[in-house]
Amino acid sequence: MTRNTSLSQAARRIGQALVVILLAYSFTFLIISVLPGDPISNMLLDPENGFTEEEIAPIIAHYGLDRPVLEQWWMAISRFALGDLGISLRSNRPVSSMLLEALPSTLLLAGSAMLVALLLALLIAYASQNLPRRWGQGVARVLPALSLSVPSFVIGLVLIQVFAFQLGLFRITQPNSLAATFFAALALGIPVSAQIAEVLIANLDHEAGQEYFAVAQARGLRRSQLFLRHQLRPSALPVVTMIALSIGELLGGSLITETIFGRKGVGSLVQSAVVTQDFPVLQSVVSLAAVVFVLVNLLADLLYPLLDPRLRRRDTAARDDTAERLA
Amino acid sequence: MNAVSPPADLLAIRGLSIAYGNKPAVHDVDLTLHAGRSLALIGESGSGKSTIARALCGLLPASGTARGRILFQGQDLLALPEARLRALRGRAIGFVPQDPQNALNPVRSIGAQAQEAARLLDLPDVAARRARILQTFARIGLADPARLYDAYPHQLSGGMLQRVLIGLAILPGPALIVADEPTSALDVTIQKRILDLLGALQAELGISLLLITHDLAIAAERAHDVVVLKDGQVQERGTADQVFRQPRSAYARRLQADVPALNPERFRAATARQPGAGEAIHVDGVSKTFQAEGRSVRAVQDVSFGVPAGTTHALVGESGSGKTTLVRLLLGLERPDRGHIAVAGTPVATDAPDRLRGLRRELQLVYQNPFTSLDPTWSVGGIIAEPLQRYDVGHRGDRQAQVIEALRAVDLPEQVLRRRPGALSGGQRQRVAIARALILRPKVLVLDEPTSALDVTVQAGIVEVLFRLQAQLGLTYLFVSHDLALIRQLADSVTVLRHGQVVEQGPVAQIFSRPREAYTRLLLDSIPRPAAASRESFLVDQETEN
Repeated sequence: MTRNTSLSQAARRIGQALVVILLAYSFTFLIISVLPGDPISNMLLDPENGFTEEEIAPIIAHYGLDRPVLEQWWMAISRFALGDLGISLRSNRPVSSMLLEALPSTLLLAGSAMLVALLLALLIAYASQNLPRRWGQGVARVLPALSLSVPSFVIGLVLIQVFAFQLGLFRITQPNSLAATFFAALALGIPVSAQIAEVLIANLDHEAGQEYFAVAQARGLRRSQLFLRHQLRPSALPVVTMIALSIGELLGGSLITETIFGRKGVGSLVQSAVVTQDFPVLQSVVSLAAVVFVLVNLLADLLYPLLDPRLRRRDTAARDDTAERLA
Repeated sequence: MNAVSPPADLLAIRGLSIAYGNKPAVHDVDLTLHAGRSLALIGESGSGKSTIARALCGLLPASGTARGRILFQGQDLLALPEARLRALRGRAIGFVPQDPQNALNPVRSIGAQAQEAARLLDLPDVAARRARILQTFARIGLADPARLYDAYPHQLSGGMLQRVLIGLAILPGPALIVADEPTSALDVTIQKRILDLLGALQAELGISLLLITHDLAIAAERAHDVVVLKDGQVQERGTADQVFRQPRSAYARRLQADVPALNPERFRAATARQPGAGEAIHVDGVSKTFQAEGRSVRAVQDVSFGVPAGTTHALVGESGSGKTTLVRLLLGLERPDRGHIAVAGTPVATDAPDRLRGLRRELQLVYQNPFTSLDPTWSVGGIIAEPLQRYDVGHRGDRQAQVIEALRAVDLPEQVLRRRPGALSGGQRQRVAIARALILRPKVLVLDEPTSALDVTVQAGIVEVLFRLQAQLGLTYLFVSHDLALIRQLADSVTVLRHGQVVEQGPVAQIFSRPREAYTRLLLDSIPRPAAASRESFLVDQETEN
């Protein structure tokens, strides 16, 4: 019974996720389709190319761009559902293989940025609770707000200036080296870590004011045990929420960071697709971002009951004091 | 008591002063607790009693600074380095908190938190510690310890949680247990059982007990020695017997006079009330069932009672007894499945908003918690005047006079009109709530545990006002409470509820002196009865009109 209900809950969440992805795809499709002209005419009707409208009509028909928008949408979405992302208008290669080439580098960057963000956030949060009150805690508490007010591209430029040009710790000409990747991840991760740290500190403060924190302290626990078990552990839920939300930040930020650090990845792919109006690539990347965002949030949703027993299906334990009165 | 040999001082507090920032909380307090004995620290909220308890366990917030000495087994706790103090916490000093619902980490199992306490014992491994934990749980009267071990706090009731917490406190075998109002968040029958348990453990294991309480009756019943605290200063100290029989300080005398359990006749005798004609409230065969999580909960089953105008009727019951549902039905916030309700002769029509609105002129509610029931952004004058505006009563110019009259009726000075609730004390806030309820001149006032968040002396002031208003205005009160001593003091008739059903009802005098049902007797037994109480008669002489 309990297992069935939690399974059906999970199934409902997955269903909702699919609907969100469908909507995201349709919405990008809509935006692209209301832009003036169509990709073929935008490309070929350029005076430099010298084609006439009559000449390109068969090409437009070939791509199905003369059909009603609804029909185009249906074709696109049914291809998308089958994993066919279409052909790039510029390189004439399948978009899916272009994405597959670009993805590993971006995943590495975003993944290590998330790792850096988590570690930094934990460090700052720990410092905010355990450093000497007047000095250390104050600094730890100001840091997140400070780094949030600096845009990530500025952080990236400063890192390059200091660590590449002045200290020579990495070379800007080898963007895929370990050191260069680390600094790129740092540039991308710092703003994200600031967001997580802010949420974490607020929650740690809240937990420290809870009665069970004082009671645990009265049980003779060491400071580190108190921190881990009675402050950090109960704060896990909002932090997971924050991480899931900051995936969007990471995806958007990696676009800029890849440009600054000269890395090849999904970011640079998007950038060139925007410049050249390569709509199939744009449509695919935006949809893919939506898929990633939805998946991560789905994962977070499914994680909540594991982190907080109160969110699991209520089992019929003795919640009233009947047993106590009869005891 | 009869001391055989002078027992050693387990705990000696000398010249203890504590301040939060610049605000002094405790001033120059001395107290001594002998090994194996119990000491009650009595005081109202803000008296500094909890601050002393926290200082003892090293739990003062960072803004708190303590001066003086807290000698525990000869060592000054205030002078010990953090690491040595931590070694004493739990192992030598156990702590039982006030609100069991919030005293265990909600995301960790009972077992995981019990392991933390068991770790202080020198047991070889987790399994051995688990065995000891289960043994302790069984000892303190928890059924099915193994299931409890795997449970999470939210799955247990308040009474069970408090037992678990007591278990965790005694598990490492401490010499002293500090219990900070351990029963104030629990139902009355549970309160008695928890206090019994603490007393038994104290006697059997030879643990010393420092009991922090606001209830003089509980202190007198449960402790050997008593220290009375007010505004951070000791007012009086002595054996429970001495302080209780012959309070020397003015404050202790006042406390004694204000505890309902000790003074059943205090208000009734002083006020001449005249019951009016007819029934102000008529409840006939009312039932209500709720659907929750696929189960149906019968919140109220076939309840009937009538309240003569100008009298006070009490609804008594513990949590889950249906008293809140009954109040909601009466106010027209829920529709009964069966039966009907009439207030001042008019049926409560949940399906006719206009008539319901009319009803609410006759029937006003005073909520339990004055700290949350008043909008903090409104001025007191605005809060009290609002019903006049909503019902468009009188002219703009007259309203101010009416508000001032209502303020006077509840003994509040005119100066509070412009203040906001945040600037008032709990007692003053509840008086504002009563003034607001009275401004429309209703016939019936529903009082939902109006004093349960307040100290006894503040409570006595409110009860006095309620009696006077009843005599002056001929009001009818429906008083909801779990505090039987208070009900004995102020109600004329009573309905005892349990699991949504009427257990017993009738005049207070009859129910309290000759209860017919076992459950009523159980409730009555939970009224603290200090051995030193000189008045034998708890009987209520006055007969009610019924």
